Amino acid sequence: MTPVESVFQDASIPFTIINQEQSIIDYSTQWLNSFNLDSDIMGKNFFEAMPQLPEELKIDINYCLEGIKTRSDSKRIVQKNGDSIWYDWKVSLLSDQDGNDGPKILVILENITHKRLEEELLIKSQQVARIGGWEVDLVKNTLYWSKITKEIHEVPEDYLPDLAKGISFYKEGYSRDTISKLVKEGIEQGKKWDVELQIVTSKGNVVWVRAIGEPEMLNDKCVRIVGTFQDIDGRKRAQLLLENSRASLKGTFDNSSIGMALVAKNGKFIDVNSSLCESLGYTKENLLNLNFQDITHPDDLEIDLKLLNELVKGKRNSYQIEKRYFNNNRQLVYVILTVTAERNIDGEISHFISQIVDISTRIKAEKKLKGLLELTTNQNNSLMNFAHIVSHNLRSHAANLTMISDFVTDESLADDIRKDSLKLLTQASQGLNETISHLNEVVQVKLETDKKLKSIPLKPLVEKVLNDIRAVIDENNADIFIDIPDSIQVKGVLAYMESIVLNLVTNAIKYKDQSKNITKVAITATDNSETAVLQIEDNGLGIDLDKYGEKLFGMYKTFHGNEDARGIGLFITKNQIESMGGKIVVESQPTIGTIFKVTFLKQ
Amino acid sequence: MSMNLLDVAFIVDDDPIHQFGMKVLLQRIKFSNEVLIYQNGQEAIDALTQRMEKGLKLPSIIFLDLNMPIKDGWGFLDDFVEIPHQNREKIVIYVVSSSINPSDQEKAKKYAVVSNYIVKPINKDQLTNVLDDLGLIDKV
Repeated sequence: MTPVESVFQDASIPFTIINQEQSIIDYSTQWLNSFNLDSDIMGKNFFEAMPQLPEELKIDINYCLEGIKTRSDSKRIVQKNGDSIWYDWKVSLLSDQDGNDGPKILVILENITHKRLEEELLIKSQQVARIGGWEVDLVKNTLYWSKITKEIHEVPEDYLPDLAKGISFYKEGYSRDTISKLVKEGIEQGKKWDVELQIVTSKGNVVWVRAIGEPEMLNDKCVRIVGTFQDIDGRKRAQLLLENSRASLKGTFDNSSIGMALVAKNGKFIDVNSSLCESLGYTKENLLNLNFQDITHPDDLEIDLKLLNELVKGKRNSYQIEKRYFNNNRQLVYVILTVTAERNIDGEISHFISQIVDISTRIKAEKKLKGLLELTTNQNNSLMNFAHIVSHNLRSHAANLTMISDFVTDESLADDIRKDSLKLLTQASQGLNETISHLNEVVQVKLETDKKLKSIPLKPLVEKVLNDIRAVIDENNADIFIDIPDSIQVKGVLAYMESIVLNLVTNAIKYKDQSKNITKVAITATDNSETAVLQIEDNGLGIDLDKYGEKLFGMYKTFHGNEDARGIGLFITKNQIESMGGKIVVESQPTIGTIFKVTFLKQ
Repeated sequence: MSMNLLDVAFIVDDDPIHQFGMKVLLQRIKFSNEVLIYQNGQEAIDALTQRMEKGLKLPSIIFLDLNMPIKDGWGFLDDFVEIPHQNREKIVIYVVSSSINPSDQEKAKKYAVVSNYIVKPINKDQLTNVLDDLGLIDKV
């Protein structure tokens, strides 16, 4: 037998031709490639050259040799190493045209293992993904459901659906209305659909499904709709749950009475809720253009950044501090800030969640309370002073009057003593009178606290007072030094201001240190943002503050045994200063001198 | 009649009317040969120190006011207790104050050197009682 140069040799189909003796008389290159064979198979027995073929193929070849025109099948054989191979074949009897060589058989054989595996995988994955198929034939008016589609509907395998029944499985209301509309539009306009709806299975279970439908149009008429039907209940419920919790989280965030913010790692605000906007007086748009550093009080920034850094480094999960922000009017807002870090799946910080409780009202109330406490303490001190005046000064005058009037009426006493007693009686009643007028003066200060405060330029005021006491200054050869900025204006009552400056300057001169050559008084002032401080410094006797500090501003306290000392000046001075919202402090050392610092409020 | 009961008495008080009154009363009951007046605690302490240095007789009694400038009655008492015991053991101190504040009386009681607390105005009978307390009344 001579090998034939086949015209089909280069065809991309794996085939071989065998004769009556089952010898190979032709093959395609694809045949050799498919089965890893050499060209030396030519003329060899087909079954000897390829021993591992399914028995069914042999049978089919024999059938054809016996005159049957064509056989085809596909079978799997398991090889010795355990691998299984799927073969797909078609065997045909070639017509014996010349009638000389006997019948010839064309064998087309393919290894379809891969194809087969893919198909199996597809089926499996459809089962796993719970995807079923369906098809509506609008010509025959039938509806076909695949096995999985039936499973999803929980109907038996022999269930026979139709279009109306199919639609009736959809849950009444939104789901059924939607699918009815989509099927109608599909049939009339050829529109595809892909929707997620709910069905009620034959067992009454409500299940989320994804239904996809693709109409096939022929001459503008829909003949068929094919589609898939997928059980997505688990995923859908999880998704809805997530959406719900997201929505409720968002709701919490938006409607919380606590200020909340999502803050990026660089401090920028990613999202803020309306409570925070309200507390800070900014609009949401304003805040989203800022970072927290921009609006934090500089004194509170360091601790905030330190704790944030510890958060970033994982040393802590959250932190809470009391801090101050500036609102849009640059006024302070007191808050309690709680910061927690949000991490992504890799454990890296994605952003921070800040909760901000506005405690400004509380702080204001506390400050007010503190102010009230201070006021009460001051008033209590005043009361103590009044009690002191009553128990000591008034009493001492009364005691004197009693004693002296006894002498005046005692006829056994010598005349000169009784005469002296009369003089002293006058003196004692004058003393009583004076004390009562001092008391009145003190009460007056208390009563006039509510007087309207006016803006008073400090320097001209001091100059006027100094002019008034020019005689005292000259008499004592006092060296007065003034350094007060022209710009300072303080809030006060003019009469009080004059009285305060007068008292402090005359005190500085009155209690001069005789051992020093020059009596020096320096009157200076400093301008602060909300207050101004007037300082009066002398080189006089000084006061031992350890011993007398507490009593210095008390009533009827004198310390130097000076003839003019009434012990009333500093008491009234302090009262006047405090009634204008200011305060007075003293620094002093015996023999060195005294410094009084008076703080006034500014406009 | 001419002899007084005590040699030296101190009055420590800054009120001239009280000073006058005390002098009159003490003279009437022939209380002391010498009545010395000091304006405040510091003057009185200085006087005591001087007398001790010069070997002069120390006062048998000190009438001490509380409210005074420079050094008040309390300041005087604090300095007084620093004086060596043998020098001051015979000195009796009476606080004479117009203060009816109980806290002042309580505080005065805490000083062992203070014998009593007299509330102003002081009168003849009270001073006679003082003499009685000192065990001198029989001689009147």
